[in-house]
Amino acid sequence: MVSRDWVRRALFLYNRMHLGMIRWLPRILVIFPAFCWGDDLARKAIEVLSRNCIACHGEPMRMSKLDLRSRESIAKGGERGPALVPGDAERSRLYRFAAGIEQPSMPPGKKLADEDLRTLREWIEDGANFAEPVKADAHAAVAALEEHPVTDEDRRFWAFQAPRAHVPPSVAGAGWVRNPVDAFVLAALESKSLAPSPRADPRALVRRAYLDLLGLPPEPAEVEAFVQDNSPEAWDRLVDKLLASPHYGERWGRHWLDLVRYADSAGYEFDRDRPNAWRYRDYVIRAFNRDKPYDRFLREQIAGDEMEFPTVEEKREAIVATGFLRHGPEANIKTEQTRMDELDDIIATTTGAFLGMTVGCARCHNHKFDPIPQKDYYRIQAVFFPSKYNQAPLVSEERVAEHKTAAKRIDDLQTPWKKQRDELREPYRRRLLEEKKAKLPDYIQLALRTPPEKRTGGQKLNASQVEKTLRVEEKELLAAMSAGDLATLRDIDSRIQTLDAERPAPLPTALAVKESGPKPEPSYFLHRGSPGNKGSLMKPGVLTVAAKSDFDFPGPPEAAASSLRRRAFAEWLASAENPLTARVMANRIWQHHFGEGIVATPSNFGDSGGRPSHPELLDWLAAEFVKRGWSVKAMHRLIMTSNAYQMASDDRPDGLQADPSNVYLWRMARRKLEGELIRDSILAVAGTLDRKQGGPGIFPYIDPALWSSSSGRTWPGRPDNDPETWRRSVYIHSKRTIPVPMLEVFDKPDTIGSCARRNRSTVPTQALILMNSAFVDLQSRHFAQRLQREAGSVGSQVDRAFQLAFGRPPSPAEKVSSTRFAESGPHGLVDFCRAIFNLNEFVYIP
Amino acid sequence: MSQRLYSRRELLWRAGSGIAGVALADMLAASERPMRGPHFPPKATAVISIFCYGGVSHVDTFDPKPELTRRQGEALSGVGEVVVSQGHPGALMGSPWSFKKYGQCGMDVSEIFPHVGSMADDIALIRSMYAISNDHGPALFQMNTGSVLAGHPSMGSWIAYGLGTENRNLPGFIVFSDWRGGPIGGAPNWGNGYMPAAYQGTPFRSTGDPIVDMRPPKDVTPQRQRAWLDLVGKLNDEHLRRNPEDSELSARIASYELAYRMQSHAPEAVDIAKEPEATRRMYGLDDKVTEYFGGQCLMARRLVERGVRFVQVYSGGGNFDESWDAHYGLKYNHELHARETDKPIAALLKDLKQRGLFDSTLVVWHGEFGRMPISQRMVGRDHNPLGFTIWLAGGGIKGGTIVGATDEFGYRAVENRKSVNDLHATILALLGLDHEKLTYRHNGREMRLTDVSGKVIQEIVA
Repeated sequence: MVSRDWVRRALFLYNRMHLGMIRWLPRILVIFPAFCWGDDLARKAIEVLSRNCIACHGEPMRMSKLDLRSRESIAKGGERGPALVPGDAERSRLYRFAAGIEQPSMPPGKKLADEDLRTLREWIEDGANFAEPVKADAHAAVAALEEHPVTDEDRRFWAFQAPRAHVPPSVAGAGWVRNPVDAFVLAALESKSLAPSPRADPRALVRRAYLDLLGLPPEPAEVEAFVQDNSPEAWDRLVDKLLASPHYGERWGRHWLDLVRYADSAGYEFDRDRPNAWRYRDYVIRAFNRDKPYDRFLREQIAGDEMEFPTVEEKREAIVATGFLRHGPEANIKTEQTRMDELDDIIATTTGAFLGMTVGCARCHNHKFDPIPQKDYYRIQAVFFPSKYNQAPLVSEERVAEHKTAAKRIDDLQTPWKKQRDELREPYRRRLLEEKKAKLPDYIQLALRTPPEKRTGGQKLNASQVEKTLRVEEKELLAAMSAGDLATLRDIDSRIQTLDAERPAPLPTALAVKESGPKPEPSYFLHRGSPGNKGSLMKPGVLTVAAKSDFDFPGPPEAAASSLRRRAFAEWLASAENPLTARVMANRIWQHHFGEGIVATPSNFGDSGGRPSHPELLDWLAAEFVKRGWSVKAMHRLIMTSNAYQMASDDRPDGLQADPSNVYLWRMARRKLEGELIRDSILAVAGTLDRKQGGPGIFPYIDPALWSSSSGRTWPGRPDNDPETWRRSVYIHSKRTIPVPMLEVFDKPDTIGSCARRNRSTVPTQALILMNSAFVDLQSRHFAQRLQREAGSVGSQVDRAFQLAFGRPPSPAEKVSSTRFAESGPHGLVDFCRAIFNLNEFVYIP
Repeated sequence: MSQRLYSRRELLWRAGSGIAGVALADMLAASERPMRGPHFPPKATAVISIFCYGGVSHVDTFDPKPELTRRQGEALSGVGEVVVSQGHPGALMGSPWSFKKYGQCGMDVSEIFPHVGSMADDIALIRSMYAISNDHGPALFQMNTGSVLAGHPSMGSWIAYGLGTENRNLPGFIVFSDWRGGPIGGAPNWGNGYMPAAYQGTPFRSTGDPIVDMRPPKDVTPQRQRAWLDLVGKLNDEHLRRNPEDSELSARIASYELAYRMQSHAPEAVDIAKEPEATRRMYGLDDKVTEYFGGQCLMARRLVERGVRFVQVYSGGGNFDESWDAHYGLKYNHELHARETDKPIAALLKDLKQRGLFDSTLVVWHGEFGRMPISQRMVGRDHNPLGFTIWLAGGGIKGGTIVGATDEFGYRAVENRKSVNDLHATILALLGLDHEKLTYRHNGREMRLTDVSGKVIQEIVA
């Protein structure tokens, strides 16, 4: 024994010198209990635990809910159960994981030294005695693990350099340059020895402008007016006119709604409707229509509740804007984990939409490609952590108080009736409950008969389960009641209902956020992203690599309603020195005009994202955006009045040869309309579109076979021939689990996460819907009736159809085949109309 | 005209014959090309997933626990904190059913699955599955997409993306819901997530027309539709002439011919009326209880036979007793759903065998989690993601195998634990796809069905 003990000590000393002193020293920040030669196994075992385990299974972190600092806490164990069976190492989880018998072996990523393992084994077999609890404090060690430096090299990446207002380059073909956009585009083309395409046909141009800005085809008269107007300002005037149209916000607001994963329901199991979510949708449409400066638009969505405004209307508008933070999916069962998931949705959406950064990737570890430390994630989380759900009333405080009083009056009047009702029902309920108990399995009845103090653990559980969950259903109760009592009950119920009818109507509210005061609840660094592994307390922060210096979050005044963290964060986002915000939005505007962004990954400006095809142009646009007061409409004007935007989109062999993907913009991209716009165009051309704006969503018909379920998920679809549903698709109620087939097959995003660029598939199910659906069939009939109303002969009806749908007359060949077809039988004209809706030309922006 | 790469007819011809590597899925997905699979020789070419939604109780079906009966009424202790989804956990509750040994392998199967039991030698059981969430929505998403969070492409999408389609006249990924309705979470369960719509699951209805808007409007005759389609073609040609090299425009034209063919192919594919009487009886089509699910199993076989890659059939829809979600009365619930599915599932396996499709079709039977060994509301069981059983049969599967084990009560998987990622990796591997190589680039990252983990379960591979 003596010699064995001696060997053990010698080995331990050796081990401590080599591993402890050299390899682990930088990481050991735990305070060891005094080590002394004379003491026993326990001290060595505790030393092994301190050195290898306590940083994650002690204070402050308790990974897997396991605390290894005392014998009691070890015996109690963690998520997997007790960690210790004293006297039996092979059955002790502590040993099994340390020895790699169970996976994952501990500590993660390294192997415990044989000697340490032997120590643990002997100690457990010896009874696992603690000389004293481990008084380890690993806060500093944990904090050190959380640090991850951002270097100067990291900051040199193009996206983190402030955009520069480059001087537009000089080009050989200066005559083509209508504004600086053209200079940048042409310089790139000339460097590839490519020429720009000629200006598009005026009919194509006017159609392009309408579909691009409004998402609706132009009326024939509007086309003709533009074609006839030979003045040099005709095009600029058209752009101005369209930017002033209320339909512009419906088109461009939709791009924004994709980005903020807007939906009218919560998703997951019950997918509950959010009956006031539409107010945010209307806010976005209004913001685009009124050309709300983007920096203000941004601030309102992140911190509208924390901002001050001169008028009540503006304040309410900004409260509605914070719905941005509420549009994520919401789990059915709420846990700390699901709260973290909700915050993750907010962080990923906010940083993706405004910064073009995938900060969400740094939830569980430092970002794999970009200089985004995990700590940045949790500092940004601390910005949003204090915000809580709020159904914000959109009326004055006085009206809220009046409403409360009125509701209380009804409650008070109902109280005596409700009491009487309960008294009437109670005896029946008790009797039925006793009958039910008598039918329970014998062993459960035995548990109920056993006096509470004599019940075993299992009997206690079962007795409590009976008490808490055995219920009498309403049906059963009513069936058991005497006729007289039933009549009395009906009478009471009707009185209660009569009073309910007098309740004041619910106040208009917005889906919003609020905080509970100036002092937020603490939030922490979560190691490996798990709420069970809380590390250091987090202060709010911004994206380190994109900030010049450590951004300062001012403390709120004592009486503040919130921490003002979001307001400060939004200020940083919208500050002129933020290298990302203006660039990311300028790129999005460009993307929706040209089909692809200058950076093709519009929400990822990081290392794994694309590089700008025209870096100087992007910089210039970003600088111009800020200079023009963050006006989105000014950017439309700038881009659309360039010659680059007005190029034809037709094929050109030399261009296809040199640059098949049109990265350098030798032509205008041909873009496919989104499903929403195909539907809107059909309604517009058929002459049935209801142009009413705003308000609660509409419910077009969806076959119940596609959605029926009893989880409370419903779709109160209106028949196709209900004109109420003939409104623009942006007003369709967006239900997360019940997609509208016509939009779904055309790649409408699933609204679960932010969508910066829609997929553009072509699949046969799209064709089936446009060929066969009752909606298209009905609208084809309306289109045919419109043609008959507006034109005489079949030939002129064909002319009119082409004018309405494509803004041009048919070619002679088209006219011949179309007229022949339309005249071929009683259904000719309707079928011809349906054909128009199905043509490539109908669904592509020229 | 001379500049045009493909004429419309050329294109259709190429698409139709599938020569020169022009897979139609390529054209239809336009710019996003599918993966070129498989990575290695496949053992199966199609998958039928039988999703017993709501959560099947493993201790009452394929994982007998005599200890549970012996210690009925005792508290479940020594396992750490017991987390239930609906509160008020009870004590241990034995299974109301007995188990019998089946096949040469001697597999224990509950008396509620006698027909499936008779196929034991073809089945590989995994008794040590575990999942993350004890909530239906996230758990369904995990089983279908690998992630508890919504928004990721489902396994069927990954497979359609990885392997393309074998039948250009039918969707590559088809889903049948239960007659009581769809599962919780709805369409994202077969969603394409961030992938193009080409890979999304197409819900097939089991009665009437299988696909929405499959049939032309009532008064449109086939002749009228053909003439109509020719007009569309003619007018599209004019437009295409100006942009002869735009493959997107050509693909869209091709999609109409495809849709036209689908109109006749899809109804034919699920037309089970003409199946021989013996087959219909085998699937239980002569019995009200098994008629609906049996019909879906038979349709699944017909679809796989016609080259569909992934067919998912749900048993259970809606909530609680409409699905396997036996919170209230285990006995009523599981007997109902087992009766509806037992005979049809066994028939499907037998039918695949007799038609020589068994070796190329992988059948996976699973729920989204298992159920607790303790009681809920006295006679029900709550959700349990910590341990549950699934089984696989068919292409590449070593029948009669049993992998892993739960603890003595069936509370937690303890031996040879298998994650959902492991299951997905295995299914892909059987189809010849390496789950680490099957990636799709999204927002700058190479995404995977198995995220960053998953190990092929070699023990069940023949």
